[in-house]
Amino acid sequence: MSTEITTPITQTEYTKEKKVGEGTYAVVYLGTKQSTGRQIAVKEIKTSEFKDGLDMSAIREVKYLQEIQHDNVIELVDIFMAYDNLNLVLEFLPSDLEVIIKDRSILFTPADIKSWMLMTLRGVHHCHRNFILHRDLKPNNLLLSPDGVIKVADFGLARAVPSPHEMLTSNVVTRWYRAPELLFGAKHYTSAIDIWSVGVIFAELMLRIPYLPGQNDIDQMEVTFRALGTPTDKEWPEVSSFGSYNKLQIYPPPSIDELRKRFIAASENALNFMCGMLTMNPKKRWNAIECLESEYFKEMPPPSDPSEIKIK
Amino acid sequence: MSNPIVMHDEVPVETTSVDLTTGPEETTPDATIDDEEENIEDNKPPNYKRISDDDLYRHSSQYRFWSFSKERLREKRVNTNKIAADTIYKNILDFKNQQDLTQEQLDVLDARTQPLSVDDELKLINFYAKKVQVISQHLNLPTEIIATSISFFKKFFLENSVMQYDPKSLVHTTIFLACKAENYFISVDSFAKKAKPNREAILKYEFKLLESLKFSLLIHHPYKPLHGFFLDIQNVLHGKVDLNYMGQTYDKCKKKITEAILTDVVYLFTPPQITLAILMIEDEALITKYLELKFSVNSEKKNNDTISFSTLLTIINDCKSFIQEEKSVSTDDARKIAAQNFFCQNPMDLIQRMKRKQPEEETTASPEKKPRVA
Repeated sequence: MSTEITTPITQTEYTKEKKVGEGTYAVVYLGTKQSTGRQIAVKEIKTSEFKDGLDMSAIREVKYLQEIQHDNVIELVDIFMAYDNLNLVLEFLPSDLEVIIKDRSILFTPADIKSWMLMTLRGVHHCHRNFILHRDLKPNNLLLSPDGVIKVADFGLARAVPSPHEMLTSNVVTRWYRAPELLFGAKHYTSAIDIWSVGVIFAELMLRIPYLPGQNDIDQMEVTFRALGTPTDKEWPEVSSFGSYNKLQIYPPPSIDELRKRFIAASENALNFMCGMLTMNPKKRWNAIECLESEYFKEMPPPSDPSEIKIK
Repeated sequence: MSNPIVMHDEVPVETTSVDLTTGPEETTPDATIDDEEENIEDNKPPNYKRISDDDLYRHSSQYRFWSFSKERLREKRVNTNKIAADTIYKNILDFKNQQDLTQEQLDVLDARTQPLSVDDELKLINFYAKKVQVISQHLNLPTEIIATSISFFKKFFLENSVMQYDPKSLVHTTIFLACKAENYFISVDSFAKKAKPNREAILKYEFKLLESLKFSLLIHHPYKPLHGFFLDIQNVLHGKVDLNYMGQTYDKCKKKITEAILTDVVYLFTPPQITLAILMIEDEALITKYLELKFSVNSEKKNNDTISFSTLLTIINDCKSFIQEEKSVSTDDARKIAAQNFFCQNPMDLIQRMKRKQPEEETTASPEKKPRVA
């Protein structure tokens, strides 16, 4: 079995060589694990923000990454404390899907997209079968290893799959990737919110521009429903009882022809797969298993070998 | 984690018999087509393995870091105790050498500054674990968070001795961290307002606690299996059980689970095993009948993962006796042990107290700075 994270606080074991990113609660450095020479990333949690002790995002990240060992989820290598700062040692992942989507010099094929979707969904499925919701899936959080493997990262917003009557905050997920039940401010939701995000990411990979780029929370509903149709009580019982429903413009769902026009390169199975993930009613939306079993993954072309996708 | 086990799905399409991602209300996918499944079975890639619920549990940090055999558990306690006791012996020896002590003082020192035994230490830990429960109940925390607090506290003192860290100073820290770990955020200031210690005291050992927990914050308690078993019992014994009675039994079991979390069963058994033991204590006839029915149905399906009825019963009964044998620690006992713990760390206090009380007869065991246990 795996060895546990060792307690000796060997800060000298890990060097921080270059600052590669800064978020609201952490600074990320590129470094080396001295004993093995392995490249690693060190996420240093800012202590100045610690007025309530250890930061909640850091606690969530530690809590969930400790439970997940999967090829498609970022590896938590070690944790140490140095100068009153909590440091998470993570595997080094040089790129992410956002960078790749935005870099016009990179060309990728439908088979590459399929490979990325497959790896993403395997990672998401593993989270879900461990009863963990990610709650912030977006291209920027789908990192790529040097050999092209997708790793789901950033568990700072993750939580356990809630019990049936648990009340939750709907203020999760970066706006463009937010499922309709979250836009409506639902007090309870399920792993279906992550699948919606994957659906939006899939669309973005095909279009190479954000699919549902709302300017603000109100506009996000407008943009989402204009593209995919406003849900009605028929397909989603009691959707009209959400407070914000009445102010909505009712758009019809897009016809298959409209979708074909928007996603020119997509096969029927690819469109079906996307629509499964972008189903308005969270109960009818495909779950990770349904997605993985989709015809899309069985038809030609087969998913690219990750190490052969040219991203540089 | 230098050598982590990686769960690798060798096939893109992994069909699981149970859909773990959805609740009982939601239907399992109907997309699984029989002949397709056959197809996969036929073309199994080299390392194909279907991941079971047990496999998932074995990957949890609870199983990897916090599940032990009885022997290993005892060994851990002996080891933690020994490290602290050795320091105490050394300190007392140094103290004796530095001070100019009378024979009488030396005798008292020898009698009163012995390090705690493993069993005394355990009594003190259990006494304070109960305090953690009472205080978190006072704070009106949800059941699962109370359980997590108790669990954090007990684990801290599996790794550290009460002779190194005053258990009293960890009580609020564990409750505070448990709230955060369970996504039940209370700011330290409002927490300090409700609880006695100030924020510095609450936060002082927070990282030490996290480290002692081996950064393992997700705890699988038996409450979820309890819910699951109750749904299944009502299903299997449909029409044969009174729903009112079942509701009452459920509530009683929930309370008993929290009591069980105070014992060692959490290290020795899995959450569903603990749940079954509790159910067995609560209504043996009902659970026996339920299990018999389950096994009679399952015996037709040959499955390598399932265990025999008799093996399961042995495990449940073993677990049951652990829960039933647990005795609570009296305040008197705890006070005596706490006094010993105080003096073995502060021999000077004992000597000074002797000097002051020289003419009087010693009546109580309570030291000058009486270690409060309440």
